[in-house]
Amino acid sequence: MMKDNADERIGVDAMDIKFAAKDVQVYYADNHAIKDVSVDILDKTVTAFIGPSGCGKSTFLRSLNRMNDTIPICRVEGDIRLDGQDINAPEVDPVQLRAKVGMVFQKPNPFPKSIYDNVAYGPRIHGLARGKAELDEIVEKSLRRAAIWDEVKDRLDAAGTGLSGGQQQRLCIARAVATEPEVLLMDEPCSALDPIATAQVEELIDELRQSYSVIIVTHSMQQAARVSQKTAFFHLGNLVEYGDTTDIFTNPRDTRTESYITGRIG
Amino acid sequence: MTDTSLPQNAPRGSNSILATDARTKKRNAAEKRFRALGMGAIGIGLFFLIVLFTTIIRSGAPAFTRTVVDVQFTLTQAQYDEAEGTLFKTAAYADLFIAQLGEILAEQDVAADFDAESIERTLGKVGGTLREFYRANEDQLDQPVNFSLATSSRVDGYLKGRVTLEGIEDSRFLMASDLDLVDELQAAGVIKSEFNWPFITGADSGVDNPGGAGIGASVVGSFFMMLVVLALALPIGVAASIYLEEFAVQNRFTDLIEVNISNLAAVPSIVFGILGLAVFIQFAGLPQSAPLVGGLVLTLMTLPTIIISTRAALKAVPPSIREAALGVGASKMQTVFHHVLPLAMPGILTGTIIGLAQALGETAPLLLIGMVGFVARGYPDGFLTGFTEANSAMPAQIYTWAARADAAFYDKAWGGIIILLIFLMFMNILAVILRRRFERRW
Amino acid sequence: MNDAHIAKAFDRDLEGVQAQVMKMGGLVEEAIRDSAKALKSRDVELAEQVRQGDRRIDELEDLINTQCAQVLALRQPAAGDLRTVLTVMKIAGNLERIGDYAKNLAKRTEVLSHMQPIEGASSAIKRMSKEVEKMLSDALDAYVRRDAALAEDVRHRDLEVDQMYNALFREFLTFMMEDPRNITACMHLHFIAKNIERMGDHVTSVADQVIYLATGQFPDESRPKDNQSIYRVDSVGEAEE
Repeated sequence: MMKDNADERIGVDAMDIKFAAKDVQVYYADNHAIKDVSVDILDKTVTAFIGPSGCGKSTFLRSLNRMNDTIPICRVEGDIRLDGQDINAPEVDPVQLRAKVGMVFQKPNPFPKSIYDNVAYGPRIHGLARGKAELDEIVEKSLRRAAIWDEVKDRLDAAGTGLSGGQQQRLCIARAVATEPEVLLMDEPCSALDPIATAQVEELIDELRQSYSVIIVTHSMQQAARVSQKTAFFHLGNLVEYGDTTDIFTNPRDTRTESYITGRIG
Repeated sequence: MTDTSLPQNAPRGSNSILATDARTKKRNAAEKRFRALGMGAIGIGLFFLIVLFTTIIRSGAPAFTRTVVDVQFTLTQAQYDEAEGTLFKTAAYADLFIAQLGEILAEQDVAADFDAESIERTLGKVGGTLREFYRANEDQLDQPVNFSLATSSRVDGYLKGRVTLEGIEDSRFLMASDLDLVDELQAAGVIKSEFNWPFITGADSGVDNPGGAGIGASVVGSFFMMLVVLALALPIGVAASIYLEEFAVQNRFTDLIEVNISNLAAVPSIVFGILGLAVFIQFAGLPQSAPLVGGLVLTLMTLPTIIISTRAALKAVPPSIREAALGVGASKMQTVFHHVLPLAMPGILTGTIIGLAQALGETAPLLLIGMVGFVARGYPDGFLTGFTEANSAMPAQIYTWAARADAAFYDKAWGGIIILLIFLMFMNILAVILRRRFERRW
Repeated sequence: MNDAHIAKAFDRDLEGVQAQVMKMGGLVEEAIRDSAKALKSRDVELAEQVRQGDRRIDELEDLINTQCAQVLALRQPAAGDLRTVLTVMKIAGNLERIGDYAKNLAKRTEVLSHMQPIEGASSAIKRMSKEVEKMLSDALDAYVRRDAALAEDVRHRDLEVDQMYNALFREFLTFMMEDPRNITACMHLHFIAKNIERMGDHVTSVADQVIYLATGQFPDESRPKDNQSIYRVDSVGEAEE
């Protein structure tokens, strides 16, 4: 109602689908954490995953860049395609995938290195820069994109861990965008931030939408409503409802969604 | 909000915050008791530490001084030639020395009564020392040379108060009359006390010469062993820990390895000694008593400690750092070597130093592979042979001295402990410095 | 759907504001009934009561708006809750307008009481107001029960009110053409009828809100309307709107 959704939904074709998940199952040992989730994530769109704690939204998010590989007892089944390519195919190297699908975590986790090195790390290991000048350029561009350049440009050599919580999180976003990903996964990026820092990060997410497909897991329904164009509601490992954010928040189709977003079930 | 489940103004003993109620009093008293208990525990610990240090320093201090007889001695070319011509060459030197000493004492108006035997009992084989010096330095003939001749350990003990006139029985080592001679020499100002450099730099002496025993050679032995331990245990231990902690799949086999490593840390060190003897010396044929073998044995002993502490340090690195690195597309190895390991480094170093310190103080396994005190006869010829030449280690040396009959070795053992503690202190300081450096690099 | 919110105070707030609307609805129904009764029985006193009673309705609307604003600001309602608050505000607005029309009716009653009564007019108006009152009562019932079907029924019944109005409109025209002395009274009566017709429209709007509340969709604008006849140029010259 209040959002302009002129740029979406109209004429969605295969080109606009960034991630296509079909019948995805995730197991933690014997625990069936994600059940039959099928969802199409659009390009240049912010998609929010909401749901009560333990509903599987983070688990599903982590299976999109195969971060679940790092958990030995975790098993992912089903078909997840990034631009039509199966990300779980045996020939896919998860490291290469993660360079394309960047991730920002719940707690700001800058490396205990300088601000510069934090941002430069990704480009360095992926060989994105030839020489110092080019690297400087990438670092500046990434920090600008993360709307933190003006705050840190005079102290790039200072420790990243010495920044405030909101700055740290934006630094982490800068670090994630420095590797030029195509998709940005955000796992509750604002849960440790104050409202002002949250607003800054949200503003940033809205800007990142111009270039990336952003998927954000959030506990705050207001945040999902504010930043996303698409919302997926997870409950007990099921994808209950997926649709335009405006619809989900004014007139959800499923009673479980309604109960959750109106604060009737935790 | 009216939440009925909450107690509504339950009656309390007193509503004033100025009056302390019984519960609070009890709680405060318990806290005070606990604090007192803690301070008492620390006090007791400090007390024992002070007792330990004063005992060590008091008992060890005598080892750092020695008593010498300072004599100016001149040997002419003619006397030299003549002495070299006799059958008992050292005896001739001794006679010359006695004559000159007599002159010195006469000058000071001290009436002394001594002969070659009493001189040998008090100053050792003076003739031999002199002859050795002049044969090496013929250019020093015909001019006065200052000799500082170490007194025998019993005379040394007499001047330090360990040996008393009443307590001794005449023997071939010392007669009561010798002590009179010492008193006279002291009156003449010939005898004096000086810092015992030979103790720090020298090697072990025979059972019958406690005065000449030094710890230097075994310090070198310990040093070479620590080099071996550091060079082997640190890389192997850290590599094993990284593999187990970061890469290995969790299954029954790795569980078994983990349990075994923990058990290994608890195995008595003497078992490693036996193992070293059987495997390194008898099977592999490595030289006995060599710091290389000692180092290998201590490496086996230290590895579990280093592995356990390194794994703890790796575990302590927050998982968010790993996720962050993986999230930007670093490989597992890049994650570990670029981020996890540097953060775990201070912990790893601490563990390593603790392991090394433990190894440094270990005696039992060394005794089994023949690194006993008396083999430390001198310094190795070169750096590399330092690993393979027979040597001792500090704790083994101290143990050997403590086991010897002559009471003079008792001082040496305490002195050795002081040197061992200083060595440990240096290692700890090094660890602190290294840790600081790594921490500053975050 | 689980009925209770985790935050019980939220439930209390929502129930409170809805109770106010129901109370307001009751007052408005009464106002319609009393004003029609006063018109028929030329009871100036009752008419005055209706005019006084409207103040109470206006106050209630202000109260409801304030409470809704508070719920919006403090609870950030979503989905069904959001629709509840939004519809409550609109319904309160509709009820207030209906109350105003009832008050206007009462005012004209006092004027008409000094004139020659028009044969049968007040009975017809009474019937019409009765129908509107019934519609309002049903709409509020539908609101309480979240009954979209009943609300849809109410919407359709507005057609009858429109038709009644059209019939009265023609009747009053006839009276006025017959005897110009009737013009003043008839004009007043026509306005009364028009107001009642407008009340019906507001009731329809209430029913629309109920449908939105229950289904999340506004009803499409296929509501049958029968007011074409009076706008037809050939019928009776110029329409008053």
